[in-house]
Amino acid sequence: METHNQTGGYQEAFKATGQLMLWTLAWVATLALAKFGPIYLWDSQPAASWAAVALNLVVGVGWIVSHARYLRGIDELQRKINQDALAVTLGVGWVSAFAYVVADAADLISYDAGIGGFATLLAVVYMIATVVGHLRYR
Amino acid sequence: MKNRLKDLRAERNWTQADLAQQVSVSRQTINAIEKGKFDPSLPTAFRLAKLFDLTIEEIFQDDE
Repeated sequence: METHNQTGGYQEAFKATGQLMLWTLAWVATLALAKFGPIYLWDSQPAASWAAVALNLVVGVGWIVSHARYLRGIDELQRKINQDALAVTLGVGWVSAFAYVVADAADLISYDAGIGGFATLLAVVYMIATVVGHLRYR
Repeated sequence: MKNRLKDLRAERNWTQADLAQQVSVSRQTINAIEKGKFDPSLPTAFRLAKLFDLTIEEIFQDDE
């Protein structure tokens, strides 16, 4: 990816991108541990489950900080595309979540939506918005 | 925002990548600025002005 920031050049941008990838992988790994650990690893012991959740939260904070550093480190056009995509994703997430809540409260929906479906929706919207942004500024 | 970036670059026989490297942005950023699709940040505008030995106003003109 051809990105670099205003002062540091490619190395800092690649470093920030690499760190974000590592934090993302670490967060996914700790999420999987918290989700499947009680079933396959420690047989539903509450202390171990709480520790896994706490670890996931701590790594999650690191992931958030890493994302902020990533946005500061990349090229200004890439940052604009990313911020636009994040704005669209936040809007879609906010609107769709509340639409689901009110529709569910009015008994219009017969099934329960899982958090996994919501996360998938956000990821898909973010990817589409990012691609659209790249096409817009091509 | 209109700009003379493409002309200034052509006068010096620089590619977009050459110019991008000198002002520490990506080639895509230079391309988007030249096409008027993206307005550069103030630090980048200053770096461009310094590179071409011009004022920012001599490179960028408001549309209005």
